[in-house]
Amino acid sequence: MNRRVMLSVIVTGLFVWTSAYAFQRGFGRSRGPFGDYGEVPTPSDANDKTEWAFARLRYPQWGSRGGGGGYGRRRESWTTDYPKADRQFVQGVRRLTRLSTKSIEQVIDPESVELFNWPWVYAVEVGHWDLTDAQCKNLREYLDRGGFLMVDDFHGTQEWEVFMASMVRVFPELNQGAGTRAIVELENKDAIFHIIYDLDDRFQVPGTVNYPFTKTYEYDGYEAKWRGIYDDKHRLMVAICHNMDLGDAWEWADSPNYPEKYTSLAYRIGINYIVYSMTH
Amino acid sequence: MFELLFKYPLGLFSKGQLVLLASWPAWILPLCVAVVAALLGMALVRRGTHWGKLRAMTIWLLESALAAVVLIMLWQPALSVATLKPQQNIVAVVVDDSRSMALVEDGETRSAQLLKTLRGGLLDKLQKKFQVRLYRMGGEVQRFDKLESLTAAQSATRIGATLKQVVAEAGSLPIGAVVLMSDGGDNSGGIDLQTISEIRRHRIPVHTIGYGKEKFAHDVEISDVITPSRALADSRLSAVVTLHQRGYENQKARITLRDGQKTLATQEIKLKTDGAMQTETLLFNAGAAGARNLTITVDPLQGEENVKNNSVMRLVHVTDAKPRVLYIEGEPRWEFKFIRRAIELDKSLDLVTMLRTTQNKIYRQGIANPKELEDGFPVKVEELFAYSGLIIGSVEASYFSTAQQELIRQFVDRRGGGVLFLGGKDSLADGGYANSPMAEMMPVVLPNHKGTFLREPANPELTAAGRDSLVARIDDNPERNVERWKKLPFLMNFQEPGTPKPGAVVLAEMMAQGKKMPLLITQNYGRGRSAVFATAGSWRWQMQMPKEDMSHEMFWQQMLRWLVAGAPGHVVAGTPKQLLTDETQTPLRAEVRDRNYLPASDAVVEARIMGPEGISSTVPLEPDPLTPGVYTATYSAEKPGAYMGEVIVKRNGVEEGKDVVMFRREDGVAENFHAEQNRELLEKLSSETGGRYYKPADVSKLSEEISYSEAGITTRETKDLWNMPFVFFLLVALRSAEWLLRRKWGAV
Repeated sequence: MNRRVMLSVIVTGLFVWTSAYAFQRGFGRSRGPFGDYGEVPTPSDANDKTEWAFARLRYPQWGSRGGGGGYGRRRESWTTDYPKADRQFVQGVRRLTRLSTKSIEQVIDPESVELFNWPWVYAVEVGHWDLTDAQCKNLREYLDRGGFLMVDDFHGTQEWEVFMASMVRVFPELNQGAGTRAIVELENKDAIFHIIYDLDDRFQVPGTVNYPFTKTYEYDGYEAKWRGIYDDKHRLMVAICHNMDLGDAWEWADSPNYPEKYTSLAYRIGINYIVYSMTH
Repeated sequence: MFELLFKYPLGLFSKGQLVLLASWPAWILPLCVAVVAALLGMALVRRGTHWGKLRAMTIWLLESALAAVVLIMLWQPALSVATLKPQQNIVAVVVDDSRSMALVEDGETRSAQLLKTLRGGLLDKLQKKFQVRLYRMGGEVQRFDKLESLTAAQSATRIGATLKQVVAEAGSLPIGAVVLMSDGGDNSGGIDLQTISEIRRHRIPVHTIGYGKEKFAHDVEISDVITPSRALADSRLSAVVTLHQRGYENQKARITLRDGQKTLATQEIKLKTDGAMQTETLLFNAGAAGARNLTITVDPLQGEENVKNNSVMRLVHVTDAKPRVLYIEGEPRWEFKFIRRAIELDKSLDLVTMLRTTQNKIYRQGIANPKELEDGFPVKVEELFAYSGLIIGSVEASYFSTAQQELIRQFVDRRGGGVLFLGGKDSLADGGYANSPMAEMMPVVLPNHKGTFLREPANPELTAAGRDSLVARIDDNPERNVERWKKLPFLMNFQEPGTPKPGAVVLAEMMAQGKKMPLLITQNYGRGRSAVFATAGSWRWQMQMPKEDMSHEMFWQQMLRWLVAGAPGHVVAGTPKQLLTDETQTPLRAEVRDRNYLPASDAVVEARIMGPEGISSTVPLEPDPLTPGVYTATYSAEKPGAYMGEVIVKRNGVEEGKDVVMFRREDGVAENFHAEQNRELLEKLSSETGGRYYKPADVSKLSEEISYSEAGITTRETKDLWNMPFVFFLLVALRSAEWLLRRKWGAV
């Protein structure tokens, strides 16, 4: 066995071992200072039917579908913070609002008919998504009928471009400059920032990768961007949280290592966005 | 035949009084009959026969009957009857000269047939015995002398008014009888009881001669069209058309509704059986604010005998008012969002919402100013009554104070608003409404248990009442509407609503967990209306159907428009006679309420009326002494055309409100309708007054029978009955029967 072959065997072995280890640990678990929190327990009322549920969009991973779309084998971006962020956040929704809330999340495929039963849907790390044409069409129909999409946890120019690559297929008008649809910066006076909490003073909510939070941005996403797409009646149909990580703030709300001010803002934003989607 | 047997006409027997002319007392007659019968019986017994009892009895009865008839004749029965003295009485001949008499039947007009009757001997015969006064009946009653002056061009037939005038003349003239020659097509509202009793008091018999076909062979007639007299701009309205036909059973026809030259709706229909009333509903858009002069027409069919009764007109006042509906919701719900979105598309409604987002926060939308609803749900009458409709979502009853609960009830009862209760986890029975004052106005008796709201699917379906209702119309075409309801996605949840109250209408039902129960129930309560929609899951109709499908939007727009449609303002003006067909007098009525919607009796009310050819006048409306807050007047529309009046209400010199009243005078229309001979009316008039109905062919008898009357100057005549041929035949028949029976039984 020459050195090249030996090197290949070692590299392959390492890859197999690390992959197996990662797979064994499952999705959604973080490590490091935001260490292992073990299995997320299923609440006893998980099967109760409610008015609203945290609907998480299970989209295909960028680069996993070889131009044709699909889901890869490795940990996929849609599962980020899942399910702890979802379950921890809905506890806040239950406590702070009168909304009848399901205690566990609802995973929804963008091409499914089931999508239309959940008029609020959350997509995380959309800087890594790659929707198929059928999914884009279904998502557009969903939004036109009155559905609401909230996207979060993607950073910088490159991930924005990946996000937009699918969005322009959902809204072809976005490519038409001053067309009927545009992604706009949300103004402070918009109802979405006042519906329950007044959120004039917002700041960037960092992900746990920023620990110990001497900086709050990732890549070149220096500044938090509150963006959205309005419909013809000036109602937000897509709320875009760029250069921030609300999901991590929900997920680590119970951690002494994650600053409370970020969690607090993330909860308020999430609650405002949900209630906005149920009133507009 | 009758006269051959009984010597006199039938009418004489009904008018005459039976008398016995013999000088012997009448009481002896039955005694004699009894004695003779007894003697005959005894003789029969003494003689003894081999017959059985039954046969002997038969022979005895025949002999006794024969003896009784002979005895009666000995007492000289006769009829005493009042008879008009010749040449001393007046007979009023009332001739229908209205336009319907110009209809051609069997080659000649009804008017020509009438003249033929008069000239064929009737007039001469009457004139030989009486003074004859000729009256022409139409819009006005006129005397005339020459038959040539009849034109059959009068615009209406007023039988009641004409008879009233003739009877009034009877006070000073010896009118012995009235002969009414008409097709009976009265279109002035019929003959009132007062006129009939006045005729009866004068004992004037009214003999009627009917003209015209009792049934057309080929005709379609619109009997009535019901449209709302006022509507919101752009609202969907219904015109309920009632029609009947003869000769076109199962054929297709087309109904068209036009505003001027513009077609608003058209619908193909299949005509039902001959003579049967048929109701069809046309839906149309009210359009922009303003007056709508609607013409509803059934396209003439081939061979129709009268096409002028195929069209009617109606007026609709379309207002640019924007009624406000308050929707209170106790928790964020998808139903709330999608109702809001549906109503945002409706330019004629203002939806104001207050949503309890958290325990202590209320999110308001659609408010007119920051102060509106700042302190929560209204506690003052004028605040709540400023809305026309109210939707109560998933809000427990105890959220409202006792005063607010009573206020909500008053909102419907007194203000005339509409309240809609939605299903939800804190709604209806689960929200504790069964024990609140609001339960009284609900269209259902709520279940007496909790746990009635379930987040389980329910399939909606339309009821028979729902198919005819505008509330549940998501398609203009009735058949397509039913189909679209069948295709609606299931509801996300449902609530057991309880039992509909008597008088409530179930427009839609739902099938949930194998049980069928009411889904949409409505009822009127006080001056307003209430409804229960026992779900909060209709939002799936929006999310599960293509974005182009407007079922959800239309349902909610219709629902809310229904909710506010009947909600009156502080001033409600109107007239029960919006369309004056060959009439001039229209009653005006205004109902005035103060700010708290209590009747205002201290107002100054006047109507400023604009009419055709520059007519302009101001009419004061006077308070109705019997009904507080109601003011009335009568306006005379002097010229045909459209009239519009602005009714202005002032209190203490300050204008407090106004409303618009519209009406239209149309001449020459009424005679086109109900053109078949109304024999029923003519017969009834005759029988009620002691006269007779005649067909033109039988009119020769009239000149004889008309003499028997108790009106005018009369004398009593006695008509012997003993020499009636019938008596002779009866005697022969009785004797022959006895002889034949005796022969058969071997006694002869």
